[in-house]
Amino acid sequence: MDFANLAAQLNAGTILPEGIVIITLLVVLVGDLIVGRSASRWLPYVAIAGLLSAIAALYLQWDNTNPVSFFGAFNSDDLSVIFRGIIALSATVTILMSIRYIEQSGTAMAEFMTILLTATLGGMFLSGASELVMIFISLETLSISSYLLTGYTKRDPRSNEAALKYLLIGAASTAVFLYGVSLLYGLSGGETQLSAIAVGLNSANAGQSLALVISLVFVIAGIAFKISAAPFHQWTPDVYEGAPTPVIAFLSVGSKAAGFALAIRLMTTAFPLLTDEWHFVFTALAVLSMILGNVVALAQTTMKRMLAYSSIAQAGFIMIGLIAGTDAGYASMVFYLLVYLFMNLGGFSCVILFSLRTGTDQISEYSGLYQKDPLLTLCLSICLLSLGGIPPLAGFFGKIYLFWAGWQAGLYGLVLLGLVTTVVSIYYYIRVVRMMVVKEPQEVSDAVRNYPEVRWDLPGMRPLQVGLVLSLVATSLAGILSNPLFTLANNSITNTSTLQPAVVSSVGTQVDVNQTQPLID
Amino acid sequence: MYVVGNKYLFSVMLSTQFPWLTTILLLPLVAASVIPLIPDQHIKSIRWYAFGVGIADFALMVYTFWCKYDLQNSTLQLAESYPWVPQLGLNWSLAVDGLSMPLVLLTGLITSLAMLAAWNVTNKPRLFYVLMLAMYSAQIGVFAAQDMLLFFLMWELELVPVYLLISIWGGQNRRYAATKFILYTAAASIFILVGGFAMAFYGDTVTFDMASLGMKQYPKGFEMLVYAGLLIAFGVKLPIFPLHTWLPDAHSEASAPISMILAGVLLKMGGYALIRMNIEMLPNAHVYFAPVLVILGVVNIIYGALAAFAQTNLKRRLAYSSIAHMGFVLIGIASFTEIGIGGAVLQMVSHGLIAASLFFLSGVTYERTHTLIMEKMGGMAQQMPKVFALFTAGSMASLALPGMSGFVGELTIFLGITTSDAYNPTFKVVVVLLAAVGLILTPIYLLSMLRQVFYGVNNSGIVIEGYLGDAKPREMFIASCLLVPIIAIGFYPKVATQTYDVKTVAVATQVRNVLPTVVAQQGRSPLYSTVLIAPHLAPAESRSLLASK
Repeated sequence: MDFANLAAQLNAGTILPEGIVIITLLVVLVGDLIVGRSASRWLPYVAIAGLLSAIAALYLQWDNTNPVSFFGAFNSDDLSVIFRGIIALSATVTILMSIRYIEQSGTAMAEFMTILLTATLGGMFLSGASELVMIFISLETLSISSYLLTGYTKRDPRSNEAALKYLLIGAASTAVFLYGVSLLYGLSGGETQLSAIAVGLNSANAGQSLALVISLVFVIAGIAFKISAAPFHQWTPDVYEGAPTPVIAFLSVGSKAAGFALAIRLMTTAFPLLTDEWHFVFTALAVLSMILGNVVALAQTTMKRMLAYSSIAQAGFIMIGLIAGTDAGYASMVFYLLVYLFMNLGGFSCVILFSLRTGTDQISEYSGLYQKDPLLTLCLSICLLSLGGIPPLAGFFGKIYLFWAGWQAGLYGLVLLGLVTTVVSIYYYIRVVRMMVVKEPQEVSDAVRNYPEVRWDLPGMRPLQVGLVLSLVATSLAGILSNPLFTLANNSITNTSTLQPAVVSSVGTQVDVNQTQPLID
Repeated sequence: MYVVGNKYLFSVMLSTQFPWLTTILLLPLVAASVIPLIPDQHIKSIRWYAFGVGIADFALMVYTFWCKYDLQNSTLQLAESYPWVPQLGLNWSLAVDGLSMPLVLLTGLITSLAMLAAWNVTNKPRLFYVLMLAMYSAQIGVFAAQDMLLFFLMWELELVPVYLLISIWGGQNRRYAATKFILYTAAASIFILVGGFAMAFYGDTVTFDMASLGMKQYPKGFEMLVYAGLLIAFGVKLPIFPLHTWLPDAHSEASAPISMILAGVLLKMGGYALIRMNIEMLPNAHVYFAPVLVILGVVNIIYGALAAFAQTNLKRRLAYSSIAHMGFVLIGIASFTEIGIGGAVLQMVSHGLIAASLFFLSGVTYERTHTLIMEKMGGMAQQMPKVFALFTAGSMASLALPGMSGFVGELTIFLGITTSDAYNPTFKVVVVLLAAVGLILTPIYLLSMLRQVFYGVNNSGIVIEGYLGDAKPREMFIASCLLVPIIAIGFYPKVATQTYDVKTVAVATQVRNVLPTVVAQQGRSPLYSTVLIAPHLAPAESRSLLASK
């Protein structure tokens, strides 16, 4: 094979954004080695610049006519571009909010940036991976970095506990995932590429074999762990409670988005034979996640645990789009993740800000915050209400689109359950809002009573402010001016060739009116 | 499957130049977003600003409806439609007709007056006025939206402001009441969205436009199911008997200006939506459900009146009387006559004015006595004769004294149900008799309320603070702004009826057209076959027969 042919086969330009992230990562690492401690003043901004240029590179890759690269191991179609964008953006906002946090916790800045960038890298590769080995390696890159990040504040026993739990459960789930993948490899006759697996399974007539179902279940177990869907969610509350708050902000958005990207790609490409089965399994996961997440969140007393259960519930909502299996379904997932990125990160920024100033995460300590810090109250209220799906905030439109797509695909029961549990979720979100706004001066908590004067000029506070304002503006306006986002989400799906046959086949199996193809004009 | 907008509205839109309704709707919301920026150590300029916005918006409404609205036209007017999220089929479609126009005006009047009534709010005034203005916009939006998703959005938009308004500025039990309110309403609004989805996705086209939804032909079972869902959703708001329990808590715990809006405007959203959706979009199911509505209406009247007796709290008594009065709206809606449906609209407008004035005056009383327990009061008339006079006038209107709007509203509903040819005479007699019982109970509990609070000698030990004294000019102004239209409608009902007349006639015609076909169907349950009878005149059919000859 001559070199030109090899270069064409590699098509290495598709991983330019990842390349930028790697270079940024090295610059951060080496810069810290050379300059020493004082580098921590500019390192985060290098990382942010790197991630932003990676996003710019992703923008240039939009509508890539030749997305397949590395002999089919990596696919840079629009679906992967948008998911990589979501992950990179979530990492950017996470860095913005983490600078002050790291500063105050007294841990090293460069290592944190390095590990976070590595996790981002893993997530970005995972979004485009279309080959089993590639999937596994990028999944592990993401997971191991996540374990490290969870235990990053190493003098905090709870952080250690969280890291250990995460590591043990994560390792077990990885093993299960790997077992499922190996079964897939064997059943398809030694194929590792997802599309080849589908062909291999078809020709081996493995559609009805029990082993394939077992492999499907194992693979889904691995994915469900990543997106923290019930009943694979047990790590979530403990990790969220113990880990540094910026880390869980990343885990709740970036890592989850990577999991959903994997779910879409793996399920639609490798398991077209078992469409009914994987729809069934994901329906069960969605039902459990929505019920468990929303109901258990009612009883939480700390903010981080409440957000943990809320993130489980949100994963349940997003799965409705996956189960719908239509263009609109996948597009609604993408749209919701985009919106969820801003509202959830905005919420976490507020939680970080509050805990930086008061050192507590208890929901009851938020009472009366309106009197001391109306701005923070406004931000947190808007983010929480958006998570609860209150119009005219972005979350409302995200939820409406998910339910719209679900109803269109005939998932009446799921949509009803989603609506009912949304009402439940409004209760616990608005409880926090009530705590902050409604309390009378005499009911103000100790933390708020001793609330320090709001200062934005401390080192690391400005980026936090920028991140907060960015998420706040996006959360309040992304709903009202949602047209570009909707278009983006829809295009990312309709331009993705691997999804189109899947869409057609899954629509074809439905009995109702979806015969005509262009679902959305 | 294609997602389409409403081509009809687009074509109408071209004829109007200025987006009047959008301006009316968005003005308070945009104005609210400026409030946090107003530099003000005292709250004076904020409240003048908010009140000014309220009045300006009301003036804009009056101007628009006076100059741009054709009273003789029963179709949607001032229509505007812009695609908002075309991927969902969500359009920013606003329009008004005879059903929504009077209620939009009512919203403007009562919300503006409520902001004036809240002149003494000193606790978190900025937040208060932001929420009031946001709620103002949402209420107008509910009445003006012509897109099911937009309607749902507006319906939900109003939730959080009301929740916070109750739970921050309310009475002792306000947090419980506010939580109960938001959970009831949010849970019920699920049915609006589900019903909207079900209707929108039915058939070949996906559209959320209300007029197009009304033109779709649904199968019977489907229509009944959607109707039942929407009935629950709007029944919570109206409220209808078993779904009413949030109302006494919310109305009595909220502060007086909020109660004015709750009773004056929010309840009407339920009644409006029942006519707009349940009748106009699902007329076939309405024929089946109408007897149920009548029965529920009677239950509301009797139950509300009896429960009002048992209340010792002034505002709770008024809240239960609201439930009773909304029962009349239900009967009117289900009457199948022009008079009855028109009466339902009139009753909504009239009750909006009366309830707002009574809740406002109870707030005026509370500011002076610091209690709402009627037994603790007594002889208040000596110390505040003006409040007493106004309160008496409001109560008289509420108990349907001739010459007041309450009388006209209830009388037309009675006329509507008795002249209705769709019901079995026995059924009508029973309904009218039972509703009349409610009508007798109303004066008893209202007059006993007046007696307990105002009559007699003041031996309760309540001392009205000197600086408050009797009603202030501001309070007199608010009360008279509400009482003047009440009396005007009472003496010359055409003031109100001309705004909706042609529309209610159209609604009645539409629902009467489907009546014979539904009644003639076989296999109906015995309840309906005995209660509903086919009216003798079926104008649409006979006309088509003549034409064929």
